[in-house]
Amino acid sequence: MTTLDMSFPQAPFHYPPPIETELNRLTELFARTPALADAYPPRWLAIQALEGDEALIQDIRTLGGPTVAAALEESLERLRAAYGDDLDVVLVDQRYRFVHAIAMQAVRRPSTPPMTLSDRIDRVVTNRWLGIPIFLAVMWVVFKLTTDVASPFVDWLDSVVSGPVSRWALALLALFGANGGWIESLMVDGVVAGVGGVLAFVPVLLMLYFALALLEDSGYMARAAFVMDRLMRALGLHGKSFLPMIVGFGCSVPAIYATRTLDNRRDRILTGLLVPFMSCSARLPVYVLIAMVFFPAHAGQVIFGLYLTGIVVAVGMGALLRHTLFRHQPQAPFVLELPPYRMPTLRGVWRQMWERTSSFIRKAGTIILATSIVVWLLLAIPVGEGEFADAPVDQSAFAAVANAATPVFAPLGFGQWEASGALVTGLIAKEVVVGTLAQVYDGAEEEGAPGDELATFVDDLSGIAGGFVTAVGDAVHALPGIVGINLIEAEEEPVAEGLAAAIRTGFMASSGGHGSLAALAFLVFVLLYTPCVAALAANRHEFGTAWMLVSLLGQFAIAWLAAFIVFQGGMMMGR
Amino acid sequence: MLYQVLEAIEQANGPVSLDELSQRLQVEPGALEGMIAFWVRKGRLKDTAIAGCGGSGRGCTCSAYPNGCVFSVTGPRVITLEPPDP
Repeated sequence: MTTLDMSFPQAPFHYPPPIETELNRLTELFARTPALADAYPPRWLAIQALEGDEALIQDIRTLGGPTVAAALEESLERLRAAYGDDLDVVLVDQRYRFVHAIAMQAVRRPSTPPMTLSDRIDRVVTNRWLGIPIFLAVMWVVFKLTTDVASPFVDWLDSVVSGPVSRWALALLALFGANGGWIESLMVDGVVAGVGGVLAFVPVLLMLYFALALLEDSGYMARAAFVMDRLMRALGLHGKSFLPMIVGFGCSVPAIYATRTLDNRRDRILTGLLVPFMSCSARLPVYVLIAMVFFPAHAGQVIFGLYLTGIVVAVGMGALLRHTLFRHQPQAPFVLELPPYRMPTLRGVWRQMWERTSSFIRKAGTIILATSIVVWLLLAIPVGEGEFADAPVDQSAFAAVANAATPVFAPLGFGQWEASGALVTGLIAKEVVVGTLAQVYDGAEEEGAPGDELATFVDDLSGIAGGFVTAVGDAVHALPGIVGINLIEAEEEPVAEGLAAAIRTGFMASSGGHGSLAALAFLVFVLLYTPCVAALAANRHEFGTAWMLVSLLGQFAIAWLAAFIVFQGGMMMGR
Repeated sequence: MLYQVLEAIEQANGPVSLDELSQRLQVEPGALEGMIAFWVRKGRLKDTAIAGCGGSGRGCTCSAYPNGCVFSVTGPRVITLEPPDP
């Protein structure tokens, strides 16, 4: 075997003379101390000791004994007298200067570095004028995906839950002889209507998480933060505030904790107050349900408008607070690294979609299930006429409690106990709004569900499979609609049925015939009021009880005011 | 050179990218990474992607994810100045 004898030119490297003197002194001393010389290269050990490596200094004291330890201390004292506490900085800096000097001589680089593909894309995507329109266009596509493409699957899942699943639950109860009583009501009106009604929106969330995963893994999300940073600075806000806000699109709780990336407490508090205005994914099922009932042909636009409203309110409130309560806050500069664009991998995208969606499903099995049972219990307890689990829903304890809140919402167009009750339970978690609406209106609809009683198990299975194939077909046909090409025949506005009809009737009644306007006000309220108790807990944990209360009451006031403007303003404009 | 990195970040008007910073300081990107890592160890810079809510305490629905919340967006890498020790 031959070895290649390579020799490299040696570049002399020296620390400043006072440091070299002490280094030589210590190196000699360590070399003469066998316990140290056997364990470490002496000069390296001397450098590490002068740089303040605590573990090695301890080793020197232990292995070298008191004489060596005293010599080291004396060297450090002399150098500290010359360099202060920055001795390690001087040592490291010297090495970087040396490397830099060699690199400058040895490496030839073009005066202007060649443009990479990422650079070329960034010239457009982060352009001062094009950046924000592109960001809005991307958001538009995301919300068209979550509505137009996911909605056939929502309809399919909804029909599965309200049909076969409900029938199977009833059949199972009959098997154990528990049908016909309050247990049946709990299972069908409580668990299936509440939890199933929420789970029907899993396709919407899968689609949202799919789009977010693509944006994150491709590197675009970092650009979005960069672009919004510029806008926020222009408004006098801390640019870094937008980073937690982007997290807020997923969930407000980690977004509140993400404010820890900000440097001072007042910036953190300010951002913590703004983050809940960003529309979290838990609100999406509510938007989709209401938008599909009242604005089926424009659901995507409505949802996009809501997300945009959330950003505008957050930025607007931020600018207002920055110039009032949070004045005189200097903006700390920062480095924001834009990673190169990458092609997202199927595995990575799927992992994110699954992790986030399974978190939602877990929530359905815990918080949403528990809330559904409590709501069912309150609906089952009669206040006026009727018996337990057999009373008209408008005579229930839930209706009585919700009715107390109704006057607050009357000027907003949704002063009905069903909507008020859903908003109150929505404080637990936003998805619960959908579950509660499904429960209260399901109870109001009464008989009829769960559909064709004569269907066999095989009929159900074939119906589920057939429905899925139809949903896939509809979703594929809806894809070109994202860019404005409509392959589906223009349909008449679908006749609302079941839950949708009940919601429509309720909103029409509470708004004096202006159901769509009331629904829009309801959506704006859902967008802007407190996301959930977990977000409140996070707020309290990070900023204290007082700021949590400011957040709770402030958001309620803003949500009420915005919904009031939408409803009353719309009425004045004659809508 | 090390202090120049801190000064450049301090004087930046708005976010700067690492590439931009390395061109501005005429420093190799690899060397700049090393210098940033040094200041992070010294506590003068904080180098972080957006923090998740792992370990963030009670009330966090993401507490089931000790390594960070699934909802934490893979945000950009952010490097900020920390106030010097008093």
